[in-house]
Amino acid sequence: MTVHIASTVHVGRHGDASDGALAEAVGGRLSRVDGPAKITGAARYAVEQQLEGLAYAVLVESTIASGKVRAIDTKAAGAAPGVLKVLTPDTIISLKGASDWFGTPPLHKTYCPLARDITFSGQHVAAVVADTFEQAVAAAALLKVSYDETPAIVDLSDGKAGDGIPIDAMTKEWGDAPAAFASAPVRICAAYNTPREYQAPMEPHGLIARWEGDHLTVWEPSQWLDGMARTYAEWFDIPFENVRLVSPYIGGGFGSKALALSHGAVAASAAKMLGRPVRLVMTRPQTFTGYGGRAATRQTVTIGAGHDGVIQSIVHRGVNETSMDGMWVEPLGSVTSIMYATPNFSSKQNVVRVNSVVPGAMRAPGENPSAFGIESAIDELAYEVGIDPLEIRLRNYAEQDPHAKKAWSTRQLREAFAAGAERFGWARRTPQPRSMRDGNQLIGWGVAAGTYPVRRAYGEAIVRILADGSVEVESSSIDMGQGTYTILAQTAAETVGVPADNVVVKLGDSRFPRAGVTGGSRLAGVMTGAVYKAATSALDQLVGLAISDQRSPFHALQANTLVVANGRIASPRGDGPDISIAELLKSVGRDHIEATGDTMPANSTAEDRYKNYTTIAMSVPHTEGDFSRHSWCAHFIEVRVDEDFGTVRVSRVVSALDSGRLYNPKLAESQWKGGIIMGIGQALLEEGIMDRRHGRIVNNNLADYLVPTNADIPDIEVISVGIPDLHSSVLGGKGVGELAIVGVAPAIANAVFHATGKRIRDLPITLEKLI
Amino acid sequence: MTKIPVHLDINGTHHHLELEPRVTLLDALRDRLGLTGTKKGCDHGQCGACTVHVDGERVLACLTLAAQTEGRTITTIEGLAREGELHPVQAAFLEQDAFQCGYCTPGQIMSAVACIREGHAGSDEEIREYMAGNLCRCGAYPHIVAAVRQAALEVAS
Repeated sequence: MTVHIASTVHVGRHGDASDGALAEAVGGRLSRVDGPAKITGAARYAVEQQLEGLAYAVLVESTIASGKVRAIDTKAAGAAPGVLKVLTPDTIISLKGASDWFGTPPLHKTYCPLARDITFSGQHVAAVVADTFEQAVAAAALLKVSYDETPAIVDLSDGKAGDGIPIDAMTKEWGDAPAAFASAPVRICAAYNTPREYQAPMEPHGLIARWEGDHLTVWEPSQWLDGMARTYAEWFDIPFENVRLVSPYIGGGFGSKALALSHGAVAASAAKMLGRPVRLVMTRPQTFTGYGGRAATRQTVTIGAGHDGVIQSIVHRGVNETSMDGMWVEPLGSVTSIMYATPNFSSKQNVVRVNSVVPGAMRAPGENPSAFGIESAIDELAYEVGIDPLEIRLRNYAEQDPHAKKAWSTRQLREAFAAGAERFGWARRTPQPRSMRDGNQLIGWGVAAGTYPVRRAYGEAIVRILADGSVEVESSSIDMGQGTYTILAQTAAETVGVPADNVVVKLGDSRFPRAGVTGGSRLAGVMTGAVYKAATSALDQLVGLAISDQRSPFHALQANTLVVANGRIASPRGDGPDISIAELLKSVGRDHIEATGDTMPANSTAEDRYKNYTTIAMSVPHTEGDFSRHSWCAHFIEVRVDEDFGTVRVSRVVSALDSGRLYNPKLAESQWKGGIIMGIGQALLEEGIMDRRHGRIVNNNLADYLVPTNADIPDIEVISVGIPDLHSSVLGGKGVGELAIVGVAPAIANAVFHATGKRIRDLPITLEKLI
Repeated sequence: MTKIPVHLDINGTHHHLELEPRVTLLDALRDRLGLTGTKKGCDHGQCGACTVHVDGERVLACLTLAAQTEGRTITTIEGLAREGELHPVQAAFLEQDAFQCGYCTPGQIMSAVACIREGHAGSDEEIREYMAGNLCRCGAYPHIVAAVRQAALEVAS
């Protein structure tokens, strides 16, 4: 159930977060336009292309975490039925090193996607290509790999791990935090840990690669067509334009499908070597090591405060794991430094190398674990000073960005607290731990806040008005379930003035106008802006033709402008003709109108454009100019804890969220709920479990790595408290997809404390920690 | 490996295939017959994305050899809509926005149709339990429950 408490507020032309009176307009609750294809099985995902002569590749991965491949005996595999090629570090073609996602040039001139030097268990060491999938699987099992093993650093708690490398860029300091902490009347200090977590999208990573001469086509689920195309082009030393990435539907990404990875290099190499298209799909276990999940983290949060609960100092220290040869920084001070007002602050972070695949982006990287620290710690402070956990958050409310010292563009967090608390019934909460129960179940109510920055960038789109009056939108952006197809159809429909079902949106092909990465909740803002611009320009052309073309029935009217609505064009005063767009185009002898919307700065060079779309180096900082731009949320969660067994069930969730204006509330609510559900998994279930002898994640499958099931999830109520934020985007939206997971885990941990009196600072909150 | 003849009755169409006995129903559907609506999420019976109906009952196609379904009636997501008319479960999924990325959706819908037919859609609690074998990482669960509830009422009326 969903309540829009802001529905009576109307600001400007675009209205509030639920302003769409018409489902088809921007802000309306239009059902997913890609929905019919998805519910009938017609939606064809990347690796489902049916190609003539397709060969099948299967990866073989290392079984040690550290050492060298001594030898690979390929004899039996090579002789197995149907086998076309056995690829090892010795037999695979040599590739060139590729730059990283910032565009930084590679350290090494050459690149081999199959490893001789092993730095983690599960590293690709070989691949077998055969005529059928079954033959490739069977032959891959015949490979004999021998190793020279060396001791591994298995994780952060390994005695050999050390303190790691200081990341100076993460340091944030103002005032004198240690001194202010030392002299504060109330002091709390606690350590918070999050384990290795995995994105686990339902569609495994994989691709089909096909070469035609020196042109490469890759069908691959992708959050970033242009970025991945750049990497393939650099690996194979071919022009960027020679690589085409196709990704019309993506079966979930959550951060994991933004980069070209080594398995892609293996498949594309195999296709080149064989002169045949090759499909390679990771097995589910391989998806746990073929790319990085969320890095395990450790944080210490100390807060010095007055007896009134007003914070005087925060000292924060964080550590995240990275791999032996890659660098991943999970920014642990990101929420710590902006959530609450404090005159003194210090945050520093180290990274520690362990024998793991390089960790990667997973829903709200940085903000998510950061919020677990600070939002747990402030709850501890609330109990320490005897102030309601909601009240203490209001007492320390940051009226401006405490770090950037800039005004918030919009911050409806106070409204989120108020709306969530009212709906949840927070006032009925009794403060004492273990004070609420239902039979054998201890009931706990917890609150926590979340935030995510508004990441901005530039985009391009083409809008065409076709002879039949329909509208076509093209963009190399993608839809992995966020609703890109739908909101771009709504944007084009509203701007041009046609029904949404007369708009066809084409995405997921790198030949289309470019979009940059789909990550950091930035795509909706980027692309609605570009489509709005393109559609406005197409509409101007249409109206211009109608007024000025001598063959137009409007020519004699001498009007300054015309109105286009519902696919028809007429004069604003209602005099003169009223004809369909198709009739107008026919009368002026045009088969289409085309306009490109491009939000890049006007003086951008071709190089700027390439950099903007294929790297993240040109993202606009969220604190650029006079404002600090963020989405905000407050979660109110009820848990029930079995007093004897320590089992925790989430029984109720009310979350109030400020994502600015919502382009489609129906789809935004789905994303919010999805984030909350992933947060419930993070709080109670999800953890990569290490076999310390072998440095190997043992629960590398969907039966042992527990993601929430339907039976784990109660009804969830989400409330939109956002208002349009035109400092954040052209149409007033902020971010949706990353936001809602932030703060869920601490809200649950806080509820568990309220239920049981036990403070769990180490996720996930499993029963053995409670009994 | 020697191939064997396999006759499959899928969505009312008869298919004759020559298959190695080790070929799963899932791979036969996706790689041999181009019926890619049935999804592969784990290949180990852990996620439910490959759920199809065999003789009207929900079955995991990744844990079923194609040869085991010889002579039996198979329905996949592609065969659920009749004469262009969406099945009430499909329509309810669209209306309730019971999916995001869409990858688990065919399996969810096939499970939901069976769940209702089995008489396990009597309450939200029951729906959650009997739909728990189909994972959805996008987290559409509350909307899936709403869709199944809605479709169950429609099917009953």
